[in-house]
Amino acid sequence: MKVELYNYIRNAQKLNRRQVLKGMTAAGAAAMMPKLALGDAHSNVRADILKIPGVGAGSPTDSDWQKVGEMCLGATKENVSAGEFDGVELTFMGLNNQNLHNFLFRGFLKPWEAYTGAKINWIDLAQADYNARLQQSIATGTVDFDIIEMGAPFEGDVLGKGMASEMPDWVKEQIDMDDYVDYLKAPVGTWDGKTYRVSIDGDCHTFAYRTDYFGEGSVTGKEVPTTWQEINQISKDLVGKEDPLTGLPAHGYLDPLKGWGGFGFYFLENRASAYAKHPDSPAWLFEPDTMKPMVNNPAWVQAIQDVMDLIEADAYPADQINADPGTTAFSQFLAGSGSMLNWWGDVGSSARTSDTSVVGDVVGFGINPASDRVYNAQSGEWEETRNEAPNMAYIGWGVYVMATVDSDEKKKKAAWSAAAHLGGKDLSLWASAYPSGFQPYRNSHFQFEEWEEAGYDRAYIEDYLGSNADSYNHPNAAIEPRIPGIFQYYSVAEDELAKGYAGKYASAQETADAIAAAWEKITDQIGRDDQIAVYKASLGL
Amino acid sequence: MLAESATHQTMMIEGDLLHTVTADNISDKRKRFGKLLVWGTALFGLSLALWQFAFETGRVANGFDNWRPVLYAYMLWATALCAAQVIVNGEKGKRTLFVLPAALFVISLVVFPLLFALYISFTDWNLASPNGPQPNGLANVREMWNDEFYWNALKNMVFYVLAVSVEYIIAFGLALLLNSQIRARKFFRVVFLLPLMLSPVAVSWMIGKSMLEVRFGPISRLLREIGIEPSFFGSAEVARFMIMAMDAWTFIPFMMIMLLAGLQALPQEVIEASKVDGATGWQSFKEVIFPLMLPVSVTAIVIRIIFKLKLADIIINVTSGGPGGATDSVTSFIFREYRDRSNVGYGTLLAIVYLILIIIFVTVLLKVVSRWMERPA
Repeated sequence: MKVELYNYIRNAQKLNRRQVLKGMTAAGAAAMMPKLALGDAHSNVRADILKIPGVGAGSPTDSDWQKVGEMCLGATKENVSAGEFDGVELTFMGLNNQNLHNFLFRGFLKPWEAYTGAKINWIDLAQADYNARLQQSIATGTVDFDIIEMGAPFEGDVLGKGMASEMPDWVKEQIDMDDYVDYLKAPVGTWDGKTYRVSIDGDCHTFAYRTDYFGEGSVTGKEVPTTWQEINQISKDLVGKEDPLTGLPAHGYLDPLKGWGGFGFYFLENRASAYAKHPDSPAWLFEPDTMKPMVNNPAWVQAIQDVMDLIEADAYPADQINADPGTTAFSQFLAGSGSMLNWWGDVGSSARTSDTSVVGDVVGFGINPASDRVYNAQSGEWEETRNEAPNMAYIGWGVYVMATVDSDEKKKKAAWSAAAHLGGKDLSLWASAYPSGFQPYRNSHFQFEEWEEAGYDRAYIEDYLGSNADSYNHPNAAIEPRIPGIFQYYSVAEDELAKGYAGKYASAQETADAIAAAWEKITDQIGRDDQIAVYKASLGL
Repeated sequence: MLAESATHQTMMIEGDLLHTVTADNISDKRKRFGKLLVWGTALFGLSLALWQFAFETGRVANGFDNWRPVLYAYMLWATALCAAQVIVNGEKGKRTLFVLPAALFVISLVVFPLLFALYISFTDWNLASPNGPQPNGLANVREMWNDEFYWNALKNMVFYVLAVSVEYIIAFGLALLLNSQIRARKFFRVVFLLPLMLSPVAVSWMIGKSMLEVRFGPISRLLREIGIEPSFFGSAEVARFMIMAMDAWTFIPFMMIMLLAGLQALPQEVIEASKVDGATGWQSFKEVIFPLMLPVSVTAIVIRIIFKLKLADIIINVTSGGPGGATDSVTSFIFREYRDRSNVGYGTLLAIVYLILIIIFVTVLLKVVSRWMERPA
């Protein structure tokens, strides 16, 4: 679980110490009840680890991580005998964000090291350094790590170049891959039909809105919108009205109009996916056979036009042209400017815990908005049917083993065993319930009774995590292409969009054409044939 | 004439004797060996480099996995060169050895990377491309020529550099103020220096993203109180001005402190003499102080311009070059091209072109201002 989410839930539940103790006692008592006592040892592990350190008992520490790692070793012991990896040394490259990620992995893997006899060396990277470090390692052929924590968008760069080790079947069984939410199943984590990724996280954008803006007698007088058409209309209608909470000008949907190192493009995707991601085809950014950009087709142009119309209608807060996604979420939405937003999980969690947030009591969640019509790129026609296509922005972190271990069977087994331990079914439940930097990503993580038993408020968990579960398992989820240089495409698109929004191009179409031209250039530079091949592989075609 | 030549010769010998501890009788054989050592290792290194180049370009079948052996050959040559100084020149060569390794080190770290940069600026190299750098002739130059946003960034640089003149006037004013007999002068000197001690990154967050934040920033609130709807980065002109203002706020103290030092070094007699002659404050400034301050002023302005040409951090943090490239500096543009898009070849070419432009600009600038750099007699 993301730290902010954990704090939010604690605050949302407004637990005091007495209630926490009561909850823990109840959970403890529940654990001793005959029904659970009759359950298998496996479910006991799940209930037991969720008590470490206990919801509301402060942030977990290294000793907690080690305890959890120790208690979850069962699956490892089935495949590896004690001391089997004596003398094996592995290097793990990952992040050190918020003192999570690698810090947790160290704790989780300590008991694994003690049991197997292997030793792990660590390379800790800040998020900002991660991409550059990885790209340089790839470009210069200096892969000095055996296991890597990596986001799925980089799969094109790494798996596409054959730099990772294929997952052995015993690992697939150990981590129970069938339990993954739908969008994390193949083709994500696979390349040319081979599996490489142990998922440890899930990511998607969801829709956050201000509940006090909607309903009878509210400033809009309308129900919560579910389509972009409704959102655009409400945003325009709100011009000149007053925010019910702050008394400042009211605003509708908040589009970030400034780039964010490539990540800003996800926010145009939120709009465009509903128009452009047709249920009949997985492709919505490039045509699979030619890598011809689809970003200048009528669907994407409509998304850009929507934003331009709202700029024209003066529907955004002042200086929106200089607002990146971070600004829209944390300086605007949470501070009471604007009423609707798409974002990752942590905007909801920060709503009550952030000092600058004033909207904690009036925030609601849903899946990304739909569209009244969808563009069919194959027929080149708009179809007047409602289309939902939640944006799985970034797809989440995974653990990958590098091909450098393939020549040494013992080392290879050790590396995969370590990866499987980190992505284990039980361990991941703990990681999704406590601050870890990761979100739930398995169907078993959405068994709300387990959360309730651990001391969480069921209504909140169902409301908030429900929107994530619905997005993850959506049949028409919009998944980004895992091709080399995907963030280069996003970055240049951000630049061109910024120019379009600033009026440097005559129209939305011209802006979209400029993005398409820049994308073509990148494709040619990286190698069109290579890109087509990896794109098709990433789509599972 | 003869006597003069003899004296000169004596002086040379004496001069030499002053520094030479032992007399060197270096045989021709030893000299030849020294020269052979240098040329031999140079030839070896060069052939290795050529061989490796031929291997990399597919002209020969065998070669090394990487260029490291060539680097070792270079180091061998460097060592031989140092050793040869002593072998060929004896004691005198030892003196050279005090400087030569350091000089070679600097050259290695400047010349080689520069040559490498020059090479990759004429390649098509995207880090995500599986093929690595591919020489592409003048394609990058053509792309630059047609890249409106690079020229736009260069145009912005002209505005940014011109802003130095305004900064100079303010800095001079402050320096005069801090040079005069005002109360709490030392306190103000420190206070006025504080912005310079801040990192531009901190300035961009504290001011650009906090104080100027449209909704809850204190400056925005103040403006709203007095009936103005704030917008600091909404239009091209205002955004560019705000960037200039933030950069100026950080670096005016730098010019100020240089000018203040200059003012304090001025000969007081001249100024007092002008007062005795009945000059008003303005006259004494215009006719005496300002001309005397010209060398310091020019130095301060030139250094400030050099600083300005590197402007990037505030822009990257606050506007990312927006709206629509209106605040982009060349460096912030290259940063996006290189870091966000891993477009190494093109990004390097842009940097090299900018470097050449800077060298030309600064050389011309120094030439033009050289007549004011000397204090008037």
